[in-house]
Amino acid sequence: MMRRGYGIEPTEHILDEFPEHSKFDVAIVGGGPNGLIAAAYLARAGLRTIVVERRHELGGGLATEETLFPGYYTNTHAVYHMMTDYMPLFRDFDLDVHGLTFVKPNAQTAAVFTDGTSLMLCNQVEDTKDSIAKFSQRDANSFGKVMRVWRRLVDDVIAPGTYLPPMPPMDMIEAFERTGAGREVLRLTEMSPIEIINELVEDDRVRMLLLYAACMWGLNPHESGLGFLVPLYVDRAANKALCYGGSHKLAGTLSREILRNGGVVLDNAEVTSFIVENGRVTGLEVFDGRVIEAKAVLSSLPPPLTFGRLLPAEHVPSDLKRVAGEWEWDDWSFFTLAIATNEAPRYETDDPWVNDAFMVVTGFDSTEQLLRHWDNVLAGRLDLDCVGGHATVETRYDPTLVRIPGHHVSFLQVHVPGEVDGGWKARHDELADCLLARWGRYAHNLTPDNIVLSRAESPLDIETRLPNMVHGSIKHGAYNALQMGVFRPHDTCVAGRTPVEGLYLCGASSYPGGLVIGGPGYIAANSVADDLGVQKWWAPPRYVQRYREVYLS
Amino acid sequence: MRDETFDIVVVGGGHNGSTIAAYLAKSGLSVAVCEARPECGGGQENTEPRPGFRIDPHATYLYGGAAPGFDQLELWKYGMRMVYYPSMSGVVTLDGVAANMGSRWRPDILEESARRFFPEQGGGGGLVDALPEPAMRELLRSLFWTPPHPRQHEIDEADLPWWQVFRKHVPELWTERLLDMSYCDFLEEFVPWEPARVLGAMGAWYCGAHPNWDGMMLPSLGGTMLFGYSGGSPRGGMHTYAHAIIRCAIAHGARILTNSPVEEIIVRNGRAVGVQLSADASFPEKTIWARKAVISGADVKQTFLHLVGPQHMDAGFAQRVADVSLKGGSLFVMSVICRELPKYHGREDAFPEDIYPSCVVGPADSMDFFYAQTRDAYSHKKVPASLTPEHLTMMICSHDQYDPTRTVDGYHVLSPIYLECPPPQYDVDGPEGYNRRKQEIVDAALALIERMAPNMHADNIVDVFVNTPYDSEFRNAGMSGGNWYGARQSADQWFGTRPIPELARYRTPIDGLYLCSQSMHPGGLCLMAVPYNLMHILIEDGIVEPASWWYPSEWYVPESGRPMAGVAR
Repeated sequence: MMRRGYGIEPTEHILDEFPEHSKFDVAIVGGGPNGLIAAAYLARAGLRTIVVERRHELGGGLATEETLFPGYYTNTHAVYHMMTDYMPLFRDFDLDVHGLTFVKPNAQTAAVFTDGTSLMLCNQVEDTKDSIAKFSQRDANSFGKVMRVWRRLVDDVIAPGTYLPPMPPMDMIEAFERTGAGREVLRLTEMSPIEIINELVEDDRVRMLLLYAACMWGLNPHESGLGFLVPLYVDRAANKALCYGGSHKLAGTLSREILRNGGVVLDNAEVTSFIVENGRVTGLEVFDGRVIEAKAVLSSLPPPLTFGRLLPAEHVPSDLKRVAGEWEWDDWSFFTLAIATNEAPRYETDDPWVNDAFMVVTGFDSTEQLLRHWDNVLAGRLDLDCVGGHATVETRYDPTLVRIPGHHVSFLQVHVPGEVDGGWKARHDELADCLLARWGRYAHNLTPDNIVLSRAESPLDIETRLPNMVHGSIKHGAYNALQMGVFRPHDTCVAGRTPVEGLYLCGASSYPGGLVIGGPGYIAANSVADDLGVQKWWAPPRYVQRYREVYLS
Repeated sequence: MRDETFDIVVVGGGHNGSTIAAYLAKSGLSVAVCEARPECGGGQENTEPRPGFRIDPHATYLYGGAAPGFDQLELWKYGMRMVYYPSMSGVVTLDGVAANMGSRWRPDILEESARRFFPEQGGGGGLVDALPEPAMRELLRSLFWTPPHPRQHEIDEADLPWWQVFRKHVPELWTERLLDMSYCDFLEEFVPWEPARVLGAMGAWYCGAHPNWDGMMLPSLGGTMLFGYSGGSPRGGMHTYAHAIIRCAIAHGARILTNSPVEEIIVRNGRAVGVQLSADASFPEKTIWARKAVISGADVKQTFLHLVGPQHMDAGFAQRVADVSLKGGSLFVMSVICRELPKYHGREDAFPEDIYPSCVVGPADSMDFFYAQTRDAYSHKKVPASLTPEHLTMMICSHDQYDPTRTVDGYHVLSPIYLECPPPQYDVDGPEGYNRRKQEIVDAALALIERMAPNMHADNIVDVFVNTPYDSEFRNAGMSGGNWYGARQSADQWFGTRPIPELARYRTPIDGLYLCSQSMHPGGLCLMAVPYNLMHILIEDGIVEPASWWYPSEWYVPESGRPMAGVAR
């Protein structure tokens, strides 16, 4: 009659509930950005689609929540949307009808130094050059020239490649050799971020900021093999957009598209296992016992969960069993201190425009300090004498997050190891206090009487909110040569298909990776539509088609 | 820029706004909902201020189980799921009495408590037994899911819908005297045990039905019956219920505009024609036009005094709206994260883990405690002047013993812990009084909980979150005074007089403007009742023609006042 912890069977009928047993064409595990994107495409293709989400809200990392309770919303996870210029989603769906708006300020990424000087990476390259010229005219000139080249690499090669299945390494080299842009991508790939930045500019502070931008999404400054991401990250550091109304709005918008097209969303519904019949995944089971059958099951969870937990062990191919066991989680994560204040943090610098910057980097006066910080992070150390990060005043460009007149929410976020000595619980307060003190050195008005509420969250907290992000792995797994490209998550799982019939992958642990770039969800939707034989109502954007013609033919 | 014209524009995506949007969209109208916050749902809210822990800052139980909306809107399709509880409530006193009242699913628990505490009275079922299904559902629908009668319709007792139901099902039990009683009178007469009276009184208060308001016995009793009738909460909390409603609206084509606060209801030539969004709304076009109607989900004061504005009404009407009493529904809400559930008076056998009550009311020693608290809230008009136990009877809820989605292993969330208090507008210390005394009140409340449950010492408590009525006003623009039921539920402001007689049928002096908030009959509690009742009026006015899934209340009296079909009189 009563399952412990799950309530009681009612003896009289009160109201109809979502059925114990239901049938769909497509079931998607995880309502994060990729799960929602895949669902939105497939639902509109006429497939009966359900998204099954563990949390009480959709969005995964697209989370805007009242963590500074009561009254202050903050984006607890994704804030900097870097691929809004390229994601096919924004061309294929008319999301404006839901009031989805991105703000991409010109003042993008500033660095403030202890001597009061500042540097700014702007959306408009000439503004960036003007700022760099304060430090080195030569660097300003070469930055302008290189950015014209890099923009083409991003437009023609790197961004379009995000929305097509990956090529095996040999094919990719052969294909990229065909064009100048392709050859430059290959050349950069073999360089480390620090080598690329050193080649580009000379001034140490300019190098610091560019290296910060290049590595902030987790490239090891010294490691070669993923250098092609440097032009992308530097270019995107000047093209970040903020989702107005909070990142959750993007999730809400996608869910509205899913619902309009007959899709269903089930939340508070942790999936406990996949159902396998005759070697084929035919559905899934939710923790409360509900069974959902589907022709295609898409998992947005990383291999240790998809293959290590949800797919019954006897059905896991041996290669994937190994991948699940040996999967490398991200080698860094974020520690974020969010604050609600009476007035916004104000930086005293040589350029007041810094106060408008979407992101302000503090804590590093030299490249050496930044490298030391990264060495610490990658070695799993927490060194409170060498801490720096980036801050954003969220209400600067999105006043809707706080309805208390004049009040603001801001955060300072630093890269940290996913795990630290003594555990995050023990080190949490110490780092939070340290960050507030450090931030106050640059923003003098962060005095106790200005701060209404504060809340710090560590990688452990990220994992608690989103258990698929083990050790705070926001990208669902490290970016290294063995877990990138066709190997993400494994070369038997390409374009979202797996060797297990009926099971697909659509999350950040699949090519091309995480950070709300929307690639895995889009690629998986294409594969599922092909396999289920439905007419695709969408066509790849022109820049993706062009890439396909040049490199994949 | 798009032309943003819809048949219907709804102000506010809280419970009532979302529900009327779902009803109207399902009826084929084009509907836009303008919501100030990043997420719809209003008081049907769950939030995770600390990783892994979900709190209920406002609504917490499903009271609306008898709502026609569940099948009319087919909320099951949109993920509606429930968790039913073996025990809904318990009561504790300072002297170490703890009684488990069970739930409708486990009447044996209440019988056991009754045998223990007032053996001379026998079992406790009483009224509930007297009204077996479907009479109970009928009674609740007559009380809550029926629009007030038209003003020109002469009302005598026999016209009251709930009176008709009582007479039909239990003619021997009910006398006209009941119509004049307060719920306290009723408890005094029929409930033999003081803590149970306090539980009944506080329970009614938290159900929005103040027990000491004369002539309100039946609605108050109905309010507590709503609590018992559904016997649980939605899976994961009330926001799941909100999701089902909103998703139903979206699936039927409604447009939900979040981060889009309404600044003004636009009135031209005496007719509401649209709304003006604030300049920072996320929607590109800030003027949203309504072809057929504007429906306000904001409370009556917000609607007329702020959104419509005094320029569109006479001074007498404006004064009547200004005088609508907000007393009664303002809550000081605490959420406590702890390692162990409270063990009251160290007696672990009082509430065994598998039947631990989902809410415990206490200290419930005497009705004096209840009266002390109502005097604080309504007479002295301040948060308790003296923070002694008799001023601090609380309702302490916990759901995670039956719903693991709300917490992480090894921890519990006591949320919400409700403490009744005056709306900020009435607080003699001014609206900021709460914020100044917040910590003091929390400290006193936690000390009192520890006194009743010694294991609730500082080491057991991990975190505390608080929202005062003042905070709620900012968080929920439609809750003046943080008042979740929008207008005092006294006889002066109930059914045909709610919130004032000329507004009771959901129409307003402004053509094309209708009211759909908790200020209207039958009040708050997320019942889908205000929208259901409003549908009758919109149908009457030719605004909407729902398909065959719609059915009206059987006690509904049309504007013409002709007798109702199919009801014995």
